[in-house]
Order: sequence, then structure tokens, then C-alpha cells
Amino acid sequence: MTYPEQLSELIEDFKSIDDRMERLEYVFDLASEVNELPTSEWDDSTRITGCQSEAHVRVDLEDKNVRLYSGADSKLVQGLMGILTIAIDQQPIETAQALTPDFAVEMGILNSLSPSRSNGFRNMFDKVMNDLSGVE
Amino acid sequence: MAIQDDFPILQRLVNGHRLIYLDNAATTQKPAVVIDAMNDYYTKHNANVHRAVHTLAGEATDGYEACRTSLKSWFNAERCILTSGTTEAINLAAHAWGHPQLKGRAIVLTEMEHHSDIVPWQMLAEAFGNELRYVPVKDDLTLDMEAYEASIEGAGLVCVVHTSNVLGVRNPIEDIIRIANENGARVLLDAAQGAPHCQINMAELGADMMALSAHKMCGPTGIGCLLVNEETFQEMKPFMGGGDMIETVTLEGSTYQTNEHRFEAGTPRIAEAIGWKSALDYLGKLDLDEQHQRLLEIARYVADELRSLGMTVYGRHDDNDSSVVSFLHPTLHSEDFAHLLDARGVAVRTGHHCAQPLLNRLGISGTVRASFYIYNTMEDAEEFLTHLRDILERFA
Repeated sequence: MTYPEQLSELIEDFKSIDDRMERLEYVFDLASEVNELPTSEWDDSTRITGCQSEAHVRVDLEDKNVRLYSGADSKLVQGLMGILTIAIDQQPIETAQALTPDFAVEMGILNSLSPSRSNGFRNMFDKVMNDLSGVE
Repeated sequence: MAIQDDFPILQRLVNGHRLIYLDNAATTQKPAVVIDAMNDYYTKHNANVHRAVHTLAGEATDGYEACRTSLKSWFNAERCILTSGTTEAINLAAHAWGHPQLKGRAIVLTEMEHHSDIVPWQMLAEAFGNELRYVPVKDDLTLDMEAYEASIEGAGLVCVVHTSNVLGVRNPIEDIIRIANENGARVLLDAAQGAPHCQINMAELGADMMALSAHKMCGPTGIGCLLVNEETFQEMKPFMGGGDMIETVTLEGSTYQTNEHRFEAGTPRIAEAIGWKSALDYLGKLDLDEQHQRLLEIARYVADELRSLGMTVYGRHDDNDSSVVSFLHPTLHSEDFAHLLDARGVAVRTGHHCAQPLLNRLGISGTVRASFYIYNTMEDAEEFLTHLRDILERFA
């Protein structure tokens, strides 16, 4: 599958890192990439289930482009949100909806995180996609 | 030879680092003698137990029943029903004894219980209307004994954890049992965490039932037991029906065995029983009191160091407590900690540790938990702290 340019670059970046610690460190750094969803706006409608931490996401459309707002109390989870932000934020909704979670496997991040965290990523991805169908 | 040499898994590298296994409250590693005993059973003696007359069946039966004999002797218990673990043992107690005997009487539990000693009683209460009374945990992380005394009147059963899997706190079991006995209530001890760390004498304590698991004391997963005194055993009704637990079966009805087999329907966990017996033999050669003191010293040292690094430590580490250190950092999430430690070969636990009511009481949703066992050394503790300091420097 062809990915948006910035996502392709990110995939290549991750592929070039062999060390597990460095990979985690990189995910940590990407926590700053999210458009912050303030904790005052966290509620049941924004909650991502299946994560062991508190993780929240809201999806809007702006001129038919996706806007993703998110936040988590775990930096690693927020880093995963940062990756998703790079992948779909400000992209046309069709591009975002064409994306599958396979890109995370290609990046190797599902291997560097625990099964529960990986499931959390999948849940995060599914929630964003579901919410996108709702705002169309 | 050092104890570490007995555990093959400790030789492996994890993410390029020496494995430092500090998740012992969840499960312990297995010495080679346990692995060999199970391998030997499948290689040379595999057969079903109790019924057949052939040589292999006899050997398998002897191996399986030797585990029961060892457990009775180890814990000075009158009856030993082998189960899949502590959880099944407590569920068995609820169904086989609680259902027929409690008849709507109150059950006293504590806020410190593992989910496996809460949920079965909630299910029983839902079905039969028993009142559940919870003894609170005080700010000093001990049970509120005044509240316990106030809650005991009219209760038919007290269910209490011997040693907390989150805090390592060893409860005043002797007082709890005495007060229960004075008030005509039976006592079930959840000894899953206590049994691996100290020698528990069930008859001397006066407990009526005691549940534990093999895998937390160097034995295999998938096997545990419910130890029961004779009086309570005679009051228990069969719970699961099937093969091996019957005397006769006709189309009109069945009669049941009178010994522990009555509660062990179906083919039991034969290899696991043989492995557990081997684990008991292995532990029996160690001085558990000496190990307890050594590990407690490590836990106290780690707890002090963590406090000095700005962590909140949830534990007391009194003389009889287990070597569990639960902690939280003010900003770095417990899950993040666990991932970063794992990348350096350190295995710790995070989350609610199946004790959500206790964590709610503490006002937190989870902790990082480092728990030490017989093969852990001060060197492990130092290395763990070095990795932890490095993580704090880079990520906190």
C-alpha cells in the first residue's frame, strides 16, 4: 500500500532502528506530535477502551480534512497517538479511511510493545475509523 | 552451587540484557528438577490415574498421590483437594461448602482480597442472598481489626488473604482465626502469596480451609489445592460431577467417593502434581526462614532507594511481610516504566494486580510491582535500581 509521504518517512525511520530501547524512546518522542485533547474534554465518548492507561481521542472534519485530537496519561500511548496523528491528521478523509493498521506492523511498533498495548493501538485505530464514519 | 544455577531460565538474555526476573508474585520460575520430573513422567510413566491395573497407571497414580501426601505434610492439613489453582480452590469452597452450609449467613471479606477471593463470594451472594461485609484497610496498610470484630457477629465465614499480593502485608491471621472461632464462623485463608514465603501450619493456625497455587512456589502452572480440615470436609457436597469422583453410577442415580477424589472429577493434572511434589522437595532443602529474612532485607533496601528517588512505595515490609515492593512515580506512568524496564531485561508487573478494591482504597489505578524470590540477589536489586535511575534520568 502507498502511504502519505510523512507516514512513509516515519515507517522508514522505525525500520532503521534495531534496538528496542531506542524504538521505545522514539515512540516517547512522538507523544509531542498530538493535537492535545485537554483532559477537561475527556469523557466516555472520547475514551479508548482496551488500553491499560487513560487514553482519549476526538475526531473532527475541517474542510473535508481529518483533525485528530488526543491525549493519554501514558507517554507511550500518547506516542502511539502521535504516530496516528502523523498518519492521518489534515489528510483528506478518503486517504485516512483507506489506511489499515498494517502500517504499524510494518513499522515494527506492534512488536516492540506488549500485546495489551498492541491491542490498545488496534482499539485506538478502530475507534478513530469508527468516529470518522460518524463525522462524514 | 548457587540457587540461581538451579533455574535454567535465568541463563537467558532478554532484549540483549541479563534477565532480572522480579515478577514472582505473579508466578515463580521453575528449577530444573521440576522440569525434569514432569519430563520424566511424560517420557517414562504417562498413564491415567486410579483405575487401570497396568504398571504405568500404578506409577502415575503413585506420583499423583505423592503430591497430595507431601502437601498434607507440608501444611499439616487433614484433607487436600487438588484443583487448577487458588481461584478454582476458592470457587470449589464457595460451591461445595458455602452453598450448602452458609444458607444466607453473612460472609466477612477484606478490602485487601485478590479478585479470586471476592468474585466467587459475590456470585454466591447474588444467588443466595448472603450479606457480604468488607473489613477496611487502614491508612497504615493494615486491616482495621476493630471493624473486623464489629463485623463478625452472625457471620458464617471469614475469607482473608494471608499475605497481600500488592502490599506484601502479612495479616494477623492468628487473631482473625481466634475471633472467628469465638463467634462460630469458619475461616478460609487465601495463602497464594503466603505459602511460598513461609511455612504455614494449618492445623496449628486453626484455619478451616486454605487455598494456594503451585506456580507461585516453583511448581508448574495449572495446579493448586484446597486444604480442608476434617469437619469442613465432611460438610462439603460434590460440586463437579463426572468420572473418578463416583463410586457407582446407574441410570437412576450415582453415589460418590468418600475421599478427596469426590471433588476431583475427570482426569486430573498428573504431570503437574508430580512437578509440584518435586518443587516441594526442592524448597524443603532450603532454609525458608533464612530466605525470607534475606529477601525482606532486599525489599526494604529497594523500597528505601525508591523513596529516595521520589517514588511512593505502598508497603510496610514488617518482619513477617513478603518481599513485594509496589511503587509509583509522580509523573512517569507505571506501564511506561514496565516497558522501559523490559527493554533492559527487567521483568516487573504493572496494573491493578487483580485487587481493584484495594487500589480504589489507596486512590490509585495501578502500581509497578517488583517481587523477589529465592533466586533473586542483592545484585539483581542493584541492577534493577541502576536501570530505574537511568530511565528516570532520560524519561521523567
